[in-house]
Amino acid sequence: MTNHQPGRRRFLAGLGAAGTTALLSGCVTSTSSSTGAVTLQSNLSAPQAKAAMEDLVAAYAKKGSGRVSLNTIAAETFRTQLPTYLTSANPPDVYTWYPGSVAEAYAKKNLLLDLDEVWQTSPDLKRYSKALQSLCTAGSGKKDFVPTTYYWWGMFYRKSNFAKWGVSEPKSWDDFLDLCDKLKSRGVAPIGLGAGGNTAWVASAWFDYLDIRINGAEYHRQLLAGQHRFDDPEVRKVFDRWQEVLPYFDPDGTAVAFQDATTALLNGRSGMMLIGTFFADAAPKDALDDIDFFRFPVIDPKVPLAEEAPTDGYFASARTGRRDQVHDLLSYLATAEAQEIYIKGSSGTALPCHPDAQDAGTPLVRKGRKHIEEAVEITQFFNRDSSDALQPTADTALIKFIAEPKNISGILTDWQREAEKIWKA
Amino acid sequence: MAVLTQPAQKSPAPQLPRNRRVRGPRRTPALVLAFVLVPLLVEALWVFWPALQGFYLAFTSWDGVSAPTFIGLDNFREMAHDDVFRTAALDTVLWLVLFGGLSAVLGLATALLLQQERRGVGFYRAALFLPVVFSLVATALVWQAIYQPDGVLNRLLEAVGLGSLRHAWLADQDTALYAVIVPALWRQIGYVMVLYLAGLKGIDPALYEAAKVDGAGPWQRFRHVTLPQLRSVNAVVVSVIIIDSLRSFDVVWSLTRGGPYHSSELLSTYMYSTAFQSLRLGYGSALAVVIFVLAFGVIASYLVRAFREAD
Repeated sequence: MTNHQPGRRRFLAGLGAAGTTALLSGCVTSTSSSTGAVTLQSNLSAPQAKAAMEDLVAAYAKKGSGRVSLNTIAAETFRTQLPTYLTSANPPDVYTWYPGSVAEAYAKKNLLLDLDEVWQTSPDLKRYSKALQSLCTAGSGKKDFVPTTYYWWGMFYRKSNFAKWGVSEPKSWDDFLDLCDKLKSRGVAPIGLGAGGNTAWVASAWFDYLDIRINGAEYHRQLLAGQHRFDDPEVRKVFDRWQEVLPYFDPDGTAVAFQDATTALLNGRSGMMLIGTFFADAAPKDALDDIDFFRFPVIDPKVPLAEEAPTDGYFASARTGRRDQVHDLLSYLATAEAQEIYIKGSSGTALPCHPDAQDAGTPLVRKGRKHIEEAVEITQFFNRDSSDALQPTADTALIKFIAEPKNISGILTDWQREAEKIWKA
Repeated sequence: MAVLTQPAQKSPAPQLPRNRRVRGPRRTPALVLAFVLVPLLVEALWVFWPALQGFYLAFTSWDGVSAPTFIGLDNFREMAHDDVFRTAALDTVLWLVLFGGLSAVLGLATALLLQQERRGVGFYRAALFLPVVFSLVATALVWQAIYQPDGVLNRLLEAVGLGSLRHAWLADQDTALYAVIVPALWRQIGYVMVLYLAGLKGIDPALYEAAKVDGAGPWQRFRHVTLPQLRSVNAVVVSVIIIDSLRSFDVVWSLTRGGPYHSSELLSTYMYSTAFQSLRLGYGSALAVVIFVLAFGVIASYLVRAFREAD
């Protein structure tokens, strides 16, 4: 027995040593990687969008100039992990994300790769609209984002249902209130919301739209950046207007998630809904042709017309070890060809950023494109124009307002206090 | 091998143990040391070090991206004036009392009911224990469907003529917290029941015989035999309940995310949302420290008392 013990000890020691070397070599190999495929971290985890991304990666590989390894991550995990990715010593190279103030927060901390060279050399990006160019420019004057697609928000409804109820699209705020009255008298919940479940953020669309209609897009952006206060009289006007339509909201509006609310809309249990085109991803194919939308009614004609059209695209980590490959990939993603591949593979309600790229070509998408082109100002959405950290403060304030509209003064005071904590952080 | 080599040794057999006894305490074998130190190192690296960092972060302001800045006790000072923290703390106490209290009482009651070996009792035990096997997130999804405005619960109420009680259970600030406690209880009762069943099995039947001979009724037997005999199990149950109450997160997060407007907020969900949604990781860490102190304080004081009584 005693003879055997040293052997066993040596074996265990060897095992330990082997384990340690394996651990250490794991660390070493993971840090040395300036060659190889570009890693693309994607939050597009919905089945259709994920498949479209896979098509896109395959098409890029076929081109032969470089390879991409796609890493799809659940949207919520991606959002919470993004700061960790960007600050790690060996980060993924390219990320799906949003331009504007969300990207600016990282740009200020020097975490984003300077993309001036891509914008200067790419024949495609030079032709992008002025609005997109300024959206992708950081506060330092450098480009740090490549936009690829965008979508729009509007008042969506079913054409067949509106015909059945004998109502039509409203043009003004008063028309809109009349429409709500008529729908209510027919026993339909006029306005669906879908701010329950885990999608309380949908309510922010109402705040955004009322604010850009009453106070304008410029004021709205400043407000979200902390240059105005949520308890200012201007913001109060937004909620006074909201109170006029609040009685027409579906009483279950804050109890069901937007997916259930859009189902209710498609089933004719609610009349219309302020929502983005992404809801069509889950709509049955036969309902798609029956879906239409109208512009959120203009309240003050003197305010420049603004619409919400969130832009999606890519940025890259400043700490990437594959700068040239990243530049090559991003120039490819900016081409009309790449954007068409993505739109074809996904649900097809997104619009390409490239001026020459073909959209899905349905009447709905053509109308959407015109809808955005008519706007003087474009806003993104509450969280994209401020930060993901500010979004929960809006959720709390807006859901409480819908439940207790009489308490608006207290709600706005609380909102300002909570928002200050975020702005100061 | 050992049998073969032993007779070959010159030294007399009785001396061997004495030799070992002398050498033993002086030198611990390297292998034993390795078995103690390697797991300790792993534990230190993966558990103690992050925990210590958490304590340090509680005294900083940190957004997860830039370097944390030390701000002393400011996070704890802010907590003193934070309405949401107060709501979350009160809700956590309410949760501890309702969730903890009811699961202990109902767990004991079902254990007493199902302790006798009768036909079919295994089925009922399994049925009550089954929810423990399910993931809490999956449980929450099922209950979310039940609580929907046109879900099972509301339809049931309408069917029995109580349509006026129809409710958006999870979206109403008056009902959200209680609606979340029910699924958590549904699961916990089965767990506590199993703990108590094990405890009841360990009681000597002779004690009941003796009590019966002395003329004790069922209530007296329960009060003076069962309860005192369950004391050691109680210590486990109380610890489990307090830990489970303070770490309750998944049910609440999947059902309401602490909403509507913080009305079902627990300390755990508030910690998560401040840290990972508002990206105020310093304040979030300070909340985590408070939760740790509460859990550790309550359990430590209970265990110390319980063991002192046992001695």
